[in-house]
Amino acid sequence: MTYWLTSTNHKSIGILYIMTTFFFFIVAGILSLFIRLQLAHPDSTVLNPHAYNEVFTLHGTAMIFLVIAPFAFGLGNYLVPLQIGAPDMIFPRLNLLGVMLFIISGFTIFAGVFAQGGAAAAGWTGYAPMSEYQIGTGAGQDLWIIGLLINAAATIMVAINFVATILLYRAPGMTMWRMPIFTWEILATALLILMAFPSLSAVLFELLLARHYGAHFFDPQYGGNAILYQHLFWFFGHPEVYVMILPYFGVVTEIVSVFSGKPVFGYVGLVLSAFAIAGLSMGVWAHHMFTTGAVANGFFSGMSFLIAVPTGVKFWNWIGTMWRGKIRLTTPMLFTIGFLLNFLVGGVTGVMIASPPIDYHAEDSYFIVSHFHYTLGGGSLFAVFAAVYFWFPKLFGFKLDELLGKVSFWFMFAGFNLTFLPMYFMGIEGMPRRVYTYPAVADLPWLNLLASVGAAIMAFAVIVFFVNVVVSKLAHEKAADDPWDAFTLEWGTTSPPPEFNFHALPPIRSERPVWDLHHPEAVKVE
Amino acid sequence: MPILHPASVEGADLRGVWYIFFGTGLFIAVIVYGLIFFSLAVWRKRRRDDGKPAPQFHSNPGLEITGVVVPLIIVIGLFYVTYIREGVVDFLRPNPYAVVDVKGYRWAWQFQYPGHNITVNGNPNMQTPPMLVLPLGKMTQINLYSSDVVHAFWVPEFLFKRDATPGYTQHFDVTPNRVGSFEGVCAEFCGLDHALMRFTVKVVPVAQYDRWLASGGTAAI
Repeated sequence: MTYWLTSTNHKSIGILYIMTTFFFFIVAGILSLFIRLQLAHPDSTVLNPHAYNEVFTLHGTAMIFLVIAPFAFGLGNYLVPLQIGAPDMIFPRLNLLGVMLFIISGFTIFAGVFAQGGAAAAGWTGYAPMSEYQIGTGAGQDLWIIGLLINAAATIMVAINFVATILLYRAPGMTMWRMPIFTWEILATALLILMAFPSLSAVLFELLLARHYGAHFFDPQYGGNAILYQHLFWFFGHPEVYVMILPYFGVVTEIVSVFSGKPVFGYVGLVLSAFAIAGLSMGVWAHHMFTTGAVANGFFSGMSFLIAVPTGVKFWNWIGTMWRGKIRLTTPMLFTIGFLLNFLVGGVTGVMIASPPIDYHAEDSYFIVSHFHYTLGGGSLFAVFAAVYFWFPKLFGFKLDELLGKVSFWFMFAGFNLTFLPMYFMGIEGMPRRVYTYPAVADLPWLNLLASVGAAIMAFAVIVFFVNVVVSKLAHEKAADDPWDAFTLEWGTTSPPPEFNFHALPPIRSERPVWDLHHPEAVKVE
Repeated sequence: MPILHPASVEGADLRGVWYIFFGTGLFIAVIVYGLIFFSLAVWRKRRRDDGKPAPQFHSNPGLEITGVVVPLIIVIGLFYVTYIREGVVDFLRPNPYAVVDVKGYRWAWQFQYPGHNITVNGNPNMQTPPMLVLPLGKMTQINLYSSDVVHAFWVPEFLFKRDATPGYTQHFDVTPNRVGSFEGVCAEFCGLDHALMRFTVKVVPVAQYDRWLASGGTAAI
């Protein structure tokens, strides 16, 4: 225990991140089951209105700030030094501070549950001026603000560490253009964090001043501006969704490539598209504000459409990577295919709501709820599981059971689509988001019941995953150094790697040094 | 409510954009899904394992440039559709037949008809939500504001919503084209009883609307 809390080794810190995100994933998952229980019937009283508001606020906050984004920081922490042939992250102590602050931030936010008046209940967006005044009566909202301020500081720390490590700590021969795509995506993510997160810190600090010292930045009764909050929040908030997807584009790229037995198709295009997405994502924040009537809808709509182009490039290149390959449908590959199928739905509907005439109907409805769950749930979360199954043998020295993995995948895929596909139709039929009750009109009752059944199936899939971890641990089938016939440097050392990662580095002559080593017959002499 | 069956002239306009985008999205999804399933069906290792590695090609510049240009053309087309239609929807036309001041507050709506001394007040504990009476086939201008936090005025059957932001009055117009009662809701989360912040839009023929207005809002609708 002391080792885990004091070690500055990037691998133990990475695992600490991952364990913490899985803890909060379970918590947030249970919260989401309460949401689906409440909404299974139109006039359910499982939760009272205030409790329901707390539940969805904590679910959203946890999934975004404590699960999807930090899992990528954990995975990046573990993998980036290995992938570039470095002994550790370049600032190990900053790294430890970052993970500690991250863990503290999670418990600070959830401490609101024990505050008088309950936890934060203003939604994960915490819109002012509503959040400027007491939501409930107590300190829950303040703990939410302080927790997120700590979280933002921790995130900026890990981002600085990624940028410096990737730029300065690469092994001899590991040029930028030989870096694995996952490392590239982490670099783009880290730069995006450095641009976006200060805005979150600023707006949260202003909110804290407004709540306790009468600063009234956002309340027009005192000369404040409610729209200002939304600008500052979404200036962070939209880049944040790319912080939650770019690393997983990297995961998907690595896995598609390995299980097609081929190098990444269009490597340069994939790298450029990551930076194009990161750059464009800084200029689209106000598409969350089309219905305010206070922003230049045309500009933000056009910029949002443009993001579809580099995202399309990624799909194109993933298909190109599979093309004429020798595809092995292992569990990580199945989750990756699930990612592709789900994310495409999220992407296509994302282009729809980038059009203000459509957004005027879809905004703040279940259409939006479904859209972002298809990108961050069906997308990022499926990639989380793909990554866990893929890198588990490297992290822990034994493999997860393939059969249980596949069972878990099929239940999760079915459950996910059963939960979220009906939500598009709920939204179109007029169901707003963040409501604890809805009228029993049209198709809303049976669509909601269907979604709740789907949620139960997903919960079962997650249970199968944890059973798999226990069963595989007991069986303890020792993993080889390179159990998947993979490509990148992390597979060129032992499973798990030694304290400083490599006893000896293989020669690095392409973006696939380990594959070159294991397939000398196929290496072209250039 | 049948899916996308708008009850206003503007809504019918907006529905066209939905159809174009949905059609385009479906077309793209079918192609991409087709390519993915084709790859999985044809290039499985299990089917064709000859012990040799797959062909190790890295790129194909022509195909890759196509992969940039084609989506670019598609989104430019979609942007054009958006831009044209949005100009029409956002344009505030002069000389409305009726004007209604709509106020959102926690957690209900208030409708006032300026010059007619009619005020309809909602209350979240009421059995029946407050009623917004509009004339059929005539353009009504809505002036929307909030007296406390951010709300959003959404009538799903108009396919339209607008935020009611405190300190920032909004104006838009609507021309109902069907007689009937339509549900309205608050779409922007505004606290405890956000879910109960509902209202009803009642569209009636012009003569009936005029009678109701003349009666000071007391005539039966």
